[in-house]
Amino acid sequence: MVVFSFLDWFWLVAFVVLMVGSGVRFYRLGKRSESDFFLAGRGLPWWLPASSVYATHTATDTPMWVSGVVYRFGLSGLWYTFYAAWCAISAFVSAKIFRRSLAYTQAEWQSLRFGGMSGELLRGWVAGWQVFINMFVLGWVGIAMGKVCMFMFGWPLWIGLIVFSSACAIYVLAAGYWGVVMADFQQGIIAFIMILIVSFWGIHSAGGAGHVVERLHEMGQAGKLNPFNFTGFFGGDFPAAWFLTMLFIGILGGLGMGTAIDWFPEAQRIQSARTVKDASWCIWAGSALVIFRNAVWAAAILAFFVMYPDLHEVRDYEMAWFRLGFENLPSGMLGFFFAAIVAIHISTISTHLNLGAVYITRDLYHHYMNPKARQEQLVWVGRIGTGILLLGSFIFGSIMENITEWLIFALWIMAAGIWLPGILQVIWWRFNGWGYLSAWVSNLVFSWLVVWVLPAFGVLPELKDYHQFWLLMLLGALVFIPVTFLTKPEDMNKLVRFYVMSRPIGWWGPVRREAVRQGLIEEV
Amino acid sequence: MSFVKRDWTPRQAEEWTKEDTITVIISPLIYMMILVGGAMSALLMARGFVIFGLGIVLMIVMINIINPKLSAISKGFEEKQKGYIEELEKKVRWED
Repeated sequence: MVVFSFLDWFWLVAFVVLMVGSGVRFYRLGKRSESDFFLAGRGLPWWLPASSVYATHTATDTPMWVSGVVYRFGLSGLWYTFYAAWCAISAFVSAKIFRRSLAYTQAEWQSLRFGGMSGELLRGWVAGWQVFINMFVLGWVGIAMGKVCMFMFGWPLWIGLIVFSSACAIYVLAAGYWGVVMADFQQGIIAFIMILIVSFWGIHSAGGAGHVVERLHEMGQAGKLNPFNFTGFFGGDFPAAWFLTMLFIGILGGLGMGTAIDWFPEAQRIQSARTVKDASWCIWAGSALVIFRNAVWAAAILAFFVMYPDLHEVRDYEMAWFRLGFENLPSGMLGFFFAAIVAIHISTISTHLNLGAVYITRDLYHHYMNPKARQEQLVWVGRIGTGILLLGSFIFGSIMENITEWLIFALWIMAAGIWLPGILQVIWWRFNGWGYLSAWVSNLVFSWLVVWVLPAFGVLPELKDYHQFWLLMLLGALVFIPVTFLTKPEDMNKLVRFYVMSRPIGWWGPVRREAVRQGLIEEV
Repeated sequence: MSFVKRDWTPRQAEEWTKEDTITVIISPLIYMMILVGGAMSALLMARGFVIFGLGIVLMIVMINIINPKLSAISKGFEEKQKGYIEELEKKVRWED
């Protein structure tokens, strides 16, 4: 247990007041319209949403996860965190296309890309799915904070789950996305500084960087310094085939939309940027910072490994980075450290509260229930949606211990069978709404079968995760490709409007020719 | 004439060109270099500084290649954005 001095409590209280206050200050801007409450009026320079990308993807559970894979695999474990690489291509492909569509959400984008009943079904489905996922992530991150508080102060889990998320909700309810992004900016700075301080302090406590490297050699663990320390091409815990699959999914996923679960919060940041150029740089720079942060963490975790090489339980070594801070920082700095943890935590909470609420407001209420709603009403529905998500997250968080496996499964659904259709919808004009919808439905069925049901009955062996990915992708393609060709293409006029506005890349020849014929674009 | 084009009209910038291809190849490499080079540099390993430094150099190169094109796309699009937003509100309306 950690004992705080007066100075520690001072830091903590001061930072929480600063964080909440800086969000609430933007109350007047946030309440102006739906566009302000959810996109900050589409007027932000690139560095603001970039800091939000960074802050959002630095959650309470992130250092635990990075600690776990780096402690176990050394620098090779960093590749587990490299999924953020989808932004490397997305910044210059799908981010541009999405920003130009002007859709508030991915669900809305579906109805711009696909018409008729299939477009509407997709919009409703994606919106509902995102409300569920955001509530789930809020519960997941909330309970991680509960665990940190229990580890530090011995508090019951519910205190960490409820107190900080509720404090965060004050400014999300008041100022919407304006509050989120402005608070994220200063939370991102606080978190980044503290990550550097704690990590380098930890390395220093282990005897310095040179000593850490030397000790790893002496311990016969020099392989942990090699980022390409594979256990063979297919065999062992860390095969090259897994690495190549991850690179394939991560990097090429940037060509599409919705190929990674992080696409959805990023889409909101892309749309809030003031220009297409700002949209591109915001996700590129934000993700570059995420990757650099992971690199710094990895060095610190290796320092921890040198100090504590004999931890075998995941629950012990996944707290490595937190332990570096709490066991080594001097009194008076601990409060600063905990304030940074709170910053890390609520920057993620605020994003998912506002993100879930935009789907409730824009895609469910505004689109289906009250298309003529006034701006004031829409802002209030956004606030009510935020409140629903907050309460739902408490319920999910309180039962999360039992359903972690379900969450991993739910996230897996997002990646495997939907990955290729997520790309095809951007790069291939002939891919239609029924094809995409069939991919979602078939993936729900196949993922259950491949991951749980068939292995339970001994029909299929328990496959490694990257084997599951390839199999689910193949099975999905066997459904959505025939469905696409057996159903009509999207209406050409709709496709032309979409093409002229968004200018997607890939196989759009017939649509482009029609747009030229109609005089909407010129041949270069 | 330089290898990469620096002056773009909005209409030219709409098309996929070799500048885009170079960017989407370099960009993931930069991320990899930041990740690997950053971790090794934090451990004061000489290779790490070299890899990280190369990543920074490549990043500057990439910005120089793609930024003029992104600026031209933005300029062209921003002129139309207001009209597009009005059209969007009509197009996505569930009922009139």
